[in-house]
Amino acid sequence: MSPDSDLISQAAAGDQSAFHTLVERHRTMVYRVAYQFAGNHHDAEDIAQEVFIKVYRSLDRFRHDAQLTSWIYRIVMNACIDHRRRHSPAGAAPFGEEAEYKMLNTPEEAPGPEERAYAGELGEVLEAEIQRLPPGQRVVFIMRHHQGLKLAEIATALGLAEGTVKRQLHAAVHRLRQALTLANVTAGEGA
Amino acid sequence: MSTCAVQDAGTIELYFYGELAREESIHIEEHLSRCRECRAAVDELKVIRAALAGRPDVAAPPGVDWSAFMERLDRAVRTEPGEAVLVPFQPPSTVARRPYIGLLATAALLAVVAASVFFASQASRRHTSPEAAVQPPQLASQAIDAGSLIQAGLASVGARHLERSKLVVLGLAAKEQARGGPSDFAYERELATSLLNDTRLYRMAAEQRGLTSLAGVMRDLELVLLQTSMAQSTDASALPQIQRLIRKRGLVEKMDVVGTTGLVP
Repeated sequence: MSPDSDLISQAAAGDQSAFHTLVERHRTMVYRVAYQFAGNHHDAEDIAQEVFIKVYRSLDRFRHDAQLTSWIYRIVMNACIDHRRRHSPAGAAPFGEEAEYKMLNTPEEAPGPEERAYAGELGEVLEAEIQRLPPGQRVVFIMRHHQGLKLAEIATALGLAEGTVKRQLHAAVHRLRQALTLANVTAGEGA
Repeated sequence: MSTCAVQDAGTIELYFYGELAREESIHIEEHLSRCRECRAAVDELKVIRAALAGRPDVAAPPGVDWSAFMERLDRAVRTEPGEAVLVPFQPPSTVARRPYIGLLATAALLAVVAASVFFASQASRRHTSPEAAVQPPQLASQAIDAGSLIQAGLASVGARHLERSKLVVLGLAAKEQARGGPSDFAYERELATSLLNDTRLYRMAAEQRGLTSLAGVMRDLELVLLQTSMAQSTDASALPQIQRLIRKRGLVEKMDVVGTTGLVP
C-alpha cells in the first residue's frame, strides 16, 4: 500500500487514480466529522465534497513533513465553518473580525432541550444540543469527544492556541451538561 | 457557574478526557473524593458519553453507497484542474434505490428487522472495517432469501430478546421502593445493559425500514434500558424516575402489543 505522501505527489502530478485512492482512504473520517457537524446527509455530503476539492486544489502545497490527517482535519473544520457561514442569514454580509467571533460563538436557533426531551431519548437530546452549539465550540467538541484528538492536536490542526481550545471545550461541555439536567428533569417529571 | 474553582477552570473535563498528567490526575481524584459537585460533573460526563455512544455512527452516505459521491467529485475536479467547483447536491432517489420497500408486507419487514439485528449482532462480534461498521446493515435480500430454518432461528432470537426486555420492564415497574434508601435492582440493571445494544439495532433497523410503530416502541425501550443501565445503585430517586418513565411511555402495554404480534411473524 502506497504511503499517503507518495499518493499526494502522484496526484499533484496529475494521476487521477492516486487522488481516488487518497479520497477512498480518508472519506470515512471526513464524512463522519462532516455529519457530526451538520447533522444531516445533505450538508455532510456538501462539506465532504468541498473538503476533497480543497485537498485537490492544494495538493502541490502540501508540506510533506506535516501529518496528512492533521492537514485534512484543518480543511474539514474550515469547510464546516465556511459551510455554516454561507448558510447563515448574514452569510452574504462582509465578514469582519467581530462578526466572525459572534458567528463562532452564537448558539444556533433550534428547539432547545426542554422541547426535545419529552419526545426524544437522551442521545437525541444531546445530539440536538450539539447542533445548537456555536460552530467554534462544536468543532472542538467533535474533535475531542468523537474523534478522540488531544487538545494539543486540535490546537495544531485548527491553528489555535491550546488555551482557546480548552475554553471552547469547557463551554461546550457546560452547555451539554445543562441540556442533560433539563432533559433528566423533563423526562423524570410525573406523567 | 459552579461553586467549585476546579470545575470552573475546566479541569474536570481535562481529567475526564485523560488530558492531565499523572500527578494532576491523582490530585483531581483526591479532590473528587471531597467534592460532591465535581463528582456529579464526572457522572454527567459519563452519561453524555454513554448516550452519545448509542447514537448512530454515520460515516458514509445513505446505504454506504459512495458511487454518487465519487461521481460528483470526479465531475468537480475534472471540470477544470486547479479550478474545481462544487457541483450542486442532488438527493438520491430513495424509491429508485429501494423499490421493494413499498411492496413488502409488514410481516416480511419485521422478519427483515430481526434478520438485520441478528446479522448485525454477529457482525459486531467480529472485526469490521470502519466503513462497514457505520450503518445499520443492509440485509434485506439476505433475510428474504433465508430459508425457513434461519427464519425459525430469527424468530427465536426476536422472541428471546422481547421476553428478556419484558422481564426488565415488568420487574422495574412492579418493584417496590425500599423505605428510606435506594432500591436494589442490580439484576434488572445488568440485564438492561446486556440488552441495550440489540435493542438499539432493532430500533435502527425498524427506522430504516419505515416501521414507525415498532421503532417507537424500541426507542422507548432503549431509553428505559439506558436509564436503568446508567442508574447509580446509591441513588434513591433512580427507581421512581425509571418507573415514571415506563408509565409515561406506556411501555408495559406497548410491549404487550409487540408480544402479541411478535418481532418476527
